[in-house]
Amino acid sequence: MHWINWLIVAAYLTWVVGDGIRRSRGAKDIEAYFMANRSLPWWAVGLSVMATQLSAITLIGTTGQGATDGLKFVQFYFGLPVAMVILGVTLVPFLHGAKVYTAYEYLERRFDAKTRSLTSLLFLLSRGMSCGAIISAPAVVLSAIFGWSLTACVALIGVPTVAYTVVGGVAAVTWADVKQMFVITFAVLAMVFVLVLRMPVPLDDALAVAGAAGRMQVFDFSLSLENQYTFWSGLIGGTFLMLSYFGTDQSQVQRYLTAKSVDEARSSLLMSAYWKIPLQALILLLGVLVFLYYTFQPAPLYFNPTHDAAVRAGAPATYDSLAVRYTAVTEARREAAQAAAAARAAGAAAGAAAALDAYRAQEREAGVVRAVALAEAGKVVSGPTRDVNYIIPRFVLDHLPLGFAGVFLAAVLAAAMSSIAAELNSLSTATVVDFYKRHARTDGDDAHYLRVSKWATALWGAFACVVATYAASLGSLIEVVNRFGSYFYGSILGVFLLAMIPRARAVGAFGGLIAGMATVGVISWQVPTIAFLWHNVTGAVTVVAVGLLLSLALGGPPAREPAKG
Amino acid sequence: MSQRVRETLTRVVIIQVVTLVLLWLLQQRYAG
Repeated sequence: MHWINWLIVAAYLTWVVGDGIRRSRGAKDIEAYFMANRSLPWWAVGLSVMATQLSAITLIGTTGQGATDGLKFVQFYFGLPVAMVILGVTLVPFLHGAKVYTAYEYLERRFDAKTRSLTSLLFLLSRGMSCGAIISAPAVVLSAIFGWSLTACVALIGVPTVAYTVVGGVAAVTWADVKQMFVITFAVLAMVFVLVLRMPVPLDDALAVAGAAGRMQVFDFSLSLENQYTFWSGLIGGTFLMLSYFGTDQSQVQRYLTAKSVDEARSSLLMSAYWKIPLQALILLLGVLVFLYYTFQPAPLYFNPTHDAAVRAGAPATYDSLAVRYTAVTEARREAAQAAAAARAAGAAAGAAAALDAYRAQEREAGVVRAVALAEAGKVVSGPTRDVNYIIPRFVLDHLPLGFAGVFLAAVLAAAMSSIAAELNSLSTATVVDFYKRHARTDGDDAHYLRVSKWATALWGAFACVVATYAASLGSLIEVVNRFGSYFYGSILGVFLLAMIPRARAVGAFGGLIAGMATVGVISWQVPTIAFLWHNVTGAVTVVAVGLLLSLALGGPPAREPAKG
Repeated sequence: MSQRVRETLTRVVIIQVVTLVLLWLLQQRYAG
């Protein structure tokens, strides 16, 4: 990569880390370190909420998904604005009004200590591992693209993030998130702009070609429970997932607990609600434009250079045969696409339709050759190829003008760092507030808890970096933990919903939580084809139903915290 | 609910409707 690109990356890192460390002044206790004295403006919190959710794999993997599957993944986010509005009138006033540090702390006031400890422990287990995965995914891609060691890539992402998160606390995390959202949005807009300028045919004709390849299909109104992304799974399952994520996951709850007031917290969530779907559609559209770029330009058989080299060395005869076949079919595809664009430009509808039919046939054939090639790579490297994650980085490095690679790498680092920083900060908060301060040492002074909080952040950072470095060998473990996470996400939401029902009691909350997780576990084991978004609905509904029944049947003392905050 | 929250909520509704309509029009024009 050219030194100007490195200069851009260095300038970005200096800007973010320097400002984070500058903001460390003034944090004298954990109220300042974890909550920024509940003084942050709504727009900064809103951008932080968005930056936390947008990880590097969104920037790399979702754009790649746009290139291979088109726009339909945007349906996954259809529930997000609905969830934000619901949270604004339900959980946000409860949690912000209760002046808690963690969402789980509220559960002890409303129910009991064991419900708080179990939900907080589930959060620590799943987020601790996922934080490692969030570092590892972009580190693996950078390692393959630049040929660096995985440890160096993990360090490039992890060390600056841990540094400003440990030193500056939540204020540094939030203000870094604000900058990072600007860097990410600028990078995506700039790439879309360059791709549109470089399109060899008019954009209207190019998009018609993308449509013929199925990349412009957005809505799927089928009622299938097994299709991962439909309008209904996005709207209903997505609403429950987003309610769980933004309402009960400490990494998000902590963002809006730092807002100045309940109204500012509501506004921050609503701000995220109105930007998310347009931004996600733009990210997918970027992927579609890259797909079109490679339709009109030669496309590599493998986007991951490491896998390309591995198959070339491990199965040279197969590689040569596949490469020849792929070059022939993509060349025929390009000719058909150009013929379709020319016919459309000339107003020849019948000619355009015939050319698009020919294009579809070549596109299908190209897909078959790529599938065989990826299966071959899977055999050679003995694992999943995830080639989709390499489409955008390869495109940026090989085809964009000088400076863009630096901006893109800064955006990938920004996306990774913003998610990791928020998670480390929230892991440390839950560890210190829900366990250390609650059970281990209840009588420490401010300076002691602040010191412990910084150490907890540093230790979680080190843990995440170690998990990321050994992610390849821990692959199945991370997958188990992520699957485990999807079992209880909806169930934790169910406990918070119960908290808003006056007749719910502690025995119902704890029993309902266990019943919810068990139900989702059994369904997922017995009917594994059900799309994961529906597990959130099942978990939440089971917890509320079982929790209410147990509360009514067994009763118990009324809550210390009333059901209205 | 403050004036700002009401304004933000209005923006949420408008931007979602406009985005969904645009996506729908894109699909109708190109995905046929």
